[in-house]
Amino acid sequence: MKDYFHSISQELFKNIKSNELLIVNFDAEDSCFVRLNKGKIRQAGSVKQISMTLSLSNKDKKNLKSYVRLNGSFDRDIYTLIKTLNYLRRELPDLPKDPYMMFSRSINSTEISEEQNTIDDKEILSYIMSSAVELDLVGIYSSGYIYTGLANSLGQTNWHSNYSFSFDYSIYNKNNNAIKLNYSSKEWNNDEYDLILEKGIEKLAILSVPQKTIDTGEYTVYLEPSALNEIIDMMSWGGFSYKSNKIGTSPLHLLNKKEKSLHRYVSIDENIKDGISANFNSDGFIKPDVINMISEGKFADTLVSPRSSLEYSVKHNASSMSEYPCSVDMRAGDIKNDQILNTVNNGIYISNLWYLNFSDRNNGRMTGLTRFGCFMIENGTLTAPINTMRFDDSVYSMLGNNLIGLTSKRELLIDSGTYEERSTSSARLPGAIINNFKMTL
Amino acid sequence: MKNEFLNQINTYLPSVDYCSFRFVNKYTNIISVTRNVLEPIEIVEDEGLMVTVIHDGGFGYGATSDLTKEGILKATQEAKKWAEFSKNHLIHQPIPPINIIDNGQYFTCEKDGWAKESSKDKVDYLMEINKSLKSKSSISNWGASFRYNKIETLFTDTNGSNFRQKISYILPQLIACAEHKKQIQTRTYGGHAHARQIGYNFLKESDLINHASVIANDAIELSMAPNCPNKQLDTVIAPDQMILQIHESIGHPLELDRILGDERNYAGSSFVSLDMFGKYQYGSEKLNISFNPEEDSELATYNFDDDGIAADKKYLIKNGKLERPIGSYYSAQRANQEYVACSRATSWNRPPIDRMGNINMEPGETSFTEMINSVEDGILLETNNSWSIDDYRNKFQFGCEKGTVIKNGELKEVVKNPNYRGVTTEFWHNLDMVGDRASFSILGTANCGKGEPNQTIFVGHATPPCLFKNIDIFGGE
Repeated sequence: MKDYFHSISQELFKNIKSNELLIVNFDAEDSCFVRLNKGKIRQAGSVKQISMTLSLSNKDKKNLKSYVRLNGSFDRDIYTLIKTLNYLRRELPDLPKDPYMMFSRSINSTEISEEQNTIDDKEILSYIMSSAVELDLVGIYSSGYIYTGLANSLGQTNWHSNYSFSFDYSIYNKNNNAIKLNYSSKEWNNDEYDLILEKGIEKLAILSVPQKTIDTGEYTVYLEPSALNEIIDMMSWGGFSYKSNKIGTSPLHLLNKKEKSLHRYVSIDENIKDGISANFNSDGFIKPDVINMISEGKFADTLVSPRSSLEYSVKHNASSMSEYPCSVDMRAGDIKNDQILNTVNNGIYISNLWYLNFSDRNNGRMTGLTRFGCFMIENGTLTAPINTMRFDDSVYSMLGNNLIGLTSKRELLIDSGTYEERSTSSARLPGAIINNFKMTL
Repeated sequence: MKNEFLNQINTYLPSVDYCSFRFVNKYTNIISVTRNVLEPIEIVEDEGLMVTVIHDGGFGYGATSDLTKEGILKATQEAKKWAEFSKNHLIHQPIPPINIIDNGQYFTCEKDGWAKESSKDKVDYLMEINKSLKSKSSISNWGASFRYNKIETLFTDTNGSNFRQKISYILPQLIACAEHKKQIQTRTYGGHAHARQIGYNFLKESDLINHASVIANDAIELSMAPNCPNKQLDTVIAPDQMILQIHESIGHPLELDRILGDERNYAGSSFVSLDMFGKYQYGSEKLNISFNPEEDSELATYNFDDDGIAADKKYLIKNGKLERPIGSYYSAQRANQEYVACSRATSWNRPPIDRMGNINMEPGETSFTEMINSVEDGILLETNNSWSIDDYRNKFQFGCEKGTVIKNGELKEVVKNPNYRGVTTEFWHNLDMVGDRASFSILGTANCGKGEPNQTIFVGHATPPCLFKNIDIFGGE
């Protein structure tokens, strides 16, 4: 795939005029998707897709881009791409200048390529189904290569390819209570899979006792890393974006303006070095290894795209245009895993939160629901599953004065999202113990 | 490619019990002007094919953007391999439809095509709208965009069915934010609700420059308004919030694949069970909900779904009673229920699943003025800006951009951050009045997410405003 990308982009650059700059962004995947319900196959198939985005600009600071789906056949694709290039060239003169257009003009070529993987999807799926014979298992297995490339007519070339699989699934009991599990990695290991499943089955057993219905009110809660991830994800809806903070639509704009603060335990980075996303943005800029976004409860750096840097006359850090983090890394705390239940003592153990949204974005207040594996903790012991509860609370409360502590162990959560294409986002987070967590419905 | 494909179809047909080819060509053009500056224009041209094979008790698909003969043959082989592998492992062995669609077709009716005006003319129009949005100094952020999508589907199968559909829709979006004492309020032109299958003339005839001025003034008024009170109130919900209420608390819970458990790991399940159809009282007798792929210009109007099933209007809820699920031909086989033509895929690279099409609230008999006049102590809620509901579709909480207090039958002061919460069937039993045909709005949403692998799709909702009794309303910090 890398050779194909190189040959087709070089052929395109032969057609570029001296007053033009062309950047091409290449995306491809060769994926298998198998959907399971009740331990059996619901839908199974393969998807092979290649695309390229051409971004043409001229000396008048005008630019236009077009995304084109490719066949993978050189002659046919070159014909399509040159046709697209000519279309962009015809349209450009009529468009206004783009005052915020900025592309990398220094040559920063990089390459990260992973070896050919010999994983056998059908063998893995047979193993999964054999392990689920007595389980009500539902979820999706996806696997395959993801390829990302960038090249520009100045001579820069960047390439990132990796192989990964994700088995994102839940196991249910007959009372419709469930535990959510995920096994994502680069190499399948039956023992690792078995261990995750066994732990899930142990938790499911606790869910089989009669459910306790809890009232609205304030509770001490433990949020597993995947539950905390939902809150951090909401904070990321513009929260770390320079532009959103500038115009005030960021849910963290009061933190950014130093009107409010989080607990000193809270430090959050964008850590490209340890994530699985490509280290270059679509304009050809190389991302720094780490950007410290929140430091000990105070806002540190925002994510700044090249466009924002020109609009607001600040230095950019090669963020994407959305200024949304893709490799969140939250500093660990000091609560050992075997201290979690005793620290909470009486409260709620929350494995997952779901369907979060803002109830007052301006003040960082959000709502959402408990989902999968949520238990009462009584006298330091998990005692019973709870009914689905809605919370409604402010981030300045949950991760501010009411934060008791973070766990010393963190989990790497690889996004199993597959909208349009398989995601390369990830988050490495601890769990959190929070006091006075507000349940409202 | 399409004619070439049809002429050579016999070359590609595998020796299997059933095979379908679904060829999709998508074109997207998004033009945005933010704070008077044109953002990079988005042009997307996407094309690909999904081959589905049902054979000897197995089911599989292969999808590819490689539309050469070799590419299509490889995708067909992939589909066959997955069908072989899934044999004896399927949760349900699908039986393909026997009704044949002979040369079916559907095309969106566009008075003026998208290309009638140049990109420059569209940019100029958006610049004018931007000027109207930035009408006052306290407007801190503003922008406007037009999105055009065209989806052409060509379907053919080994039973002899074939059809062609070309759906195109337009979505105008306007936004204005105003700041007052570090409190920012945002007002939009219906969020993303004004998506329609309609021509470019719709944008010119919609008086967007005037709408821009109205929402800018609203944003300023909201930024200085008090928070919404916390109390139980009779609540009039405007169409641009009703669509979200219908979508989340009727559309999704009635999707048959959720009821059958397919979505339990991702989008969630439903409190509705199969034994409720035909007898369960979902809401008050004023509640009438249809699956209506026939409503002119609505977002999900079409003649055929992506399994090749002919589409027509069916009631899902009549006089408050649950009639049938939103279940596709194959899901209905699994559940022994009646089907509607709702099997839809976001594109060639995702398999079809049970989806809302147009899910509409049938109009009642009360005018909007009569509805407001009937309220002694209440609130009018407009335009969704926050949505959250549990995975069984019971406990919901929704937020709106604008609230207006109603006192003794009259609209009074504006309040900010209005939210409400409730439980689905209790809420629908509180439905007291339904707006008449004159108040009926054809709206929709272009981004409904669901499925594994994930898919977003456009769904339509047409509805009048409605009055609900005793709703739990609250405001912000």
